[in-house]
Amino acid sequence: MSRFGAKKGRKLPGAEFSWDTDGNGEPDTAPTPLFPKFSVPRARPLSARERLQVDYYRGLRERYHDGPYYSILDSASTAAKKGSVARVNFDSFHGMPTYSGRYQRKKRTIPRMGGRSYIMKFFPRELWQTIQPTFKPDAAMDGYAGQFARATAKRGFEDDEEEDEEDETKRKRTGGEEEEDNEKDILDGEEEGEEEEIVDDDFEDDEDEMGGDYNAEQYFDGGDDEYGDDGFGDGGGGGGDEETY
Amino acid sequence: MSSQYSAELCALLVEDNFGELFARIFSTLVRYDRLSLPRLKFYSHLSYPQLRHGIAAMIQQHLVYHYTSYDDGFTYYTPNLQAAYYLVRTGKILELIEDRLGKYAATVMSAILYLGHVQVGNLEDLPELQPAPTDIDGVEEEQETEGQTNGHNGQDIAHAARLHPTLKALAAHGYIIRVRESHFQSYADNVLDAERVIKARPDIKQLKGKKLDEAVIEATLTMLKERMDGDLTRGLVFNGVPRGVKRRPDARNGDDPTKKARSDYAAVDEEDEHDDEWSDDELDDEIPMESTLTVQVNYDKLDVALRNRRFLDLAERDSSSATIEVYDCLLRRIEYQTSKCRDGVEIPREGEEGEQYSAPIALSAVADDVDPNLDLAASIGPMDASQPGLRRGKRPLDDDDHMNGTTDHAAANTLASKGNRTYEVDQHLSLLAQPPHNLTSKRNIGGLPSWTIEFRHLARKLRHLELERMIEARYGDVALRLIRVLHAKGKLDEKRLQEISLLPFKDLRQVLANMQSGGFVDLQEVPRDAQRQPSRTIYLWFYDPDRVRSSMLEDTYKTMSRCLQRLRFERARLKEFLEKTERSDVKGNEERYLSEAELTLLEQWKAKEALLVGEISRLDEMVAVMRDY
Repeated sequence: MSRFGAKKGRKLPGAEFSWDTDGNGEPDTAPTPLFPKFSVPRARPLSARERLQVDYYRGLRERYHDGPYYSILDSASTAAKKGSVARVNFDSFHGMPTYSGRYQRKKRTIPRMGGRSYIMKFFPRELWQTIQPTFKPDAAMDGYAGQFARATAKRGFEDDEEEDEEDETKRKRTGGEEEEDNEKDILDGEEEGEEEEIVDDDFEDDEDEMGGDYNAEQYFDGGDDEYGDDGFGDGGGGGGDEETY
Repeated sequence: MSSQYSAELCALLVEDNFGELFARIFSTLVRYDRLSLPRLKFYSHLSYPQLRHGIAAMIQQHLVYHYTSYDDGFTYYTPNLQAAYYLVRTGKILELIEDRLGKYAATVMSAILYLGHVQVGNLEDLPELQPAPTDIDGVEEEQETEGQTNGHNGQDIAHAARLHPTLKALAAHGYIIRVRESHFQSYADNVLDAERVIKARPDIKQLKGKKLDEAVIEATLTMLKERMDGDLTRGLVFNGVPRGVKRRPDARNGDDPTKKARSDYAAVDEEDEHDDEWSDDELDDEIPMESTLTVQVNYDKLDVALRNRRFLDLAERDSSSATIEVYDCLLRRIEYQTSKCRDGVEIPREGEEGEQYSAPIALSAVADDVDPNLDLAASIGPMDASQPGLRRGKRPLDDDDHMNGTTDHAAANTLASKGNRTYEVDQHLSLLAQPPHNLTSKRNIGGLPSWTIEFRHLARKLRHLELERMIEARYGDVALRLIRVLHAKGKLDEKRLQEISLLPFKDLRQVLANMQSGGFVDLQEVPRDAQRQPSRTIYLWFYDPDRVRSSMLEDTYKTMSRCLQRLRFERARLKEFLEKTERSDVKGNEERYLSEAELTLLEQWKAKEALLVGEISRLDEMVAVMRDY
């Protein structure tokens, strides 16, 4: 550092860290210790209040998980359509339906919207049909139609890309509708099953419905809870537990 | 707001609570910010049914804002990072509610959180809020029975009598608010919308130039206030105290001064100890809340309550329990009148923020709130004029006129006359007003002595303490000393710094270099001539709390998200086992179905998870200090 003319041994700040000091001397090539002593910082144990907070957090999270909205992405199962991603990713070692699988928490791939009431005005119009399948998009509701009347009006200067995109989406939408219908069927089945669990234990009419289309893949997650309750003394206990959450 | 790690953290929180589908939608929205449904489909690679249901459910949980444009009619979706982040604070919030308003209120709150927003009418139907047969919600009931032995007989009456008063208490405290349509649009959209409406007004159209801008801004703010306002406290607060405030200290909390509940009317009806805690609000509790009212959780207000609790913790370090009690009463009073932590969205820069005082609370009101059985005098020490003793020097200036005629205080403690008690409360509050923390400050309003809190000052103090704590933990006490010197004196060159801090050069430089590489201090060059020669340059060390704060905030987000990722990994490791414990037949009767070893494993897993979640919630406290308070 002294080459810049610092005077009389007055070192500049940081001089001892400069590159120069290493240049002359032999570099220190001694191996660093393989496992240097390192004191691992440990978190202090939770206080009573923190424990309570954690329990509340876990409790609420558990409720969300058991609730209708918790949904995962890959539902790899043999029930999936042939050639679809879900089918390809199927884990043939652990994924086979087993007897104990009937107690396993059911995995949802789509949040279930039924089973509770929604306040429609808080949702955008394009989702109304999702929330309430009985909703007719054409009918005016609560006077909110006027507000969105211009919804589909075009300004006339969108670029082609956008139009293409729209067309594409339209096409897809029509394609998607079928999909949706399929999904809906599954959903409905599930919904009824779930609702049934919560609302009452009268499963006679459901049995009629389910009896028609036998589906080997859905043997365990379709409407089998009812059968289980009949057959086993402990099955009822499991069902009862679910109700508490 | 949406930095890399906060976005990551929010997505992880959403995933932890709601599963992968929500997380995918959320992180796509965070990345691209504002998308219509087709674009969202394109980026997220999800199907339309998945998206529609997912988005609808997320709107219900307030995780997504939506806005339908007037120009093109498309609906755009934006992520609501605030709501996603507050998922981490739910545990704290529920614990706070339980502390303030009891177990049942916490259950109600948890139901509201679980449902996102909900109409009061629907809450009535919820099974877990009914004190129905004990076997259904036995978990909650069991813990509840302690103070309420009569909870199980007369269930229907008890239920009807409980839900609405509890809701009213929550509303009166401001913990829940009415949901407005504008709560579903992002703030920016609301502003634009309001501006558009206002600009279309004929009286505004006539204005021009600067006047127009001013008028538009002003009108926009009032309109926003009108539209966003979900305040439910109106008509529910009497004399500054919300209804439904717990009246007496709980038996189980009796020995813990911080948890002690308020006890304003304790003297009035002592004997009905085991009665329902709302029994004295008979005035108009028969009027239930409108069943069409939609409520949601008010995070702003809860932040205020959490911040006050934090102040209380700060006071607890060096004050007696009686002082804490008094301070708690003052803070409660202030909380009722404070709707949010600060006016601006961002924390103002260091040194640029003005002071923001809390609502002044009359001394007499605080004195009324303090538990009459609390021994106030014992912890202040004898106030004999002949014993100026250790506290004389610390008194504020206005203390001298209080000093005469108080000789008999040491003798009479609990049943002292009201005037004396008020005086003692005042003494406790003056104790708190002392430096270094200045937890309170005194004002005279119209001749009435009242006490306030300097919010900004205290929030800053908390921030600084937090940063100092971290610096000490990382670089040791020498570093802490240097930081304090630099903070107090501003920019210093090394020599001056050494003189002031009285440290050897060697230590000093080492520590400074370490801290510089950690980003806590930095060096400024001030050349003395145009050539910028190093020899003729002054080097100044400085410490910029703002900069450090924002980088620490990022680090904290990152740590939190790493904790969550660790949690996920640990769960994946035990996946098979955990799935077994979650089986519907195993759950609840673990003892019956699991082997000895499995039970231990489950116990270990729970402890591990609790530690990680607890760590996240501690980190969240830091985030709160550095971002929210």
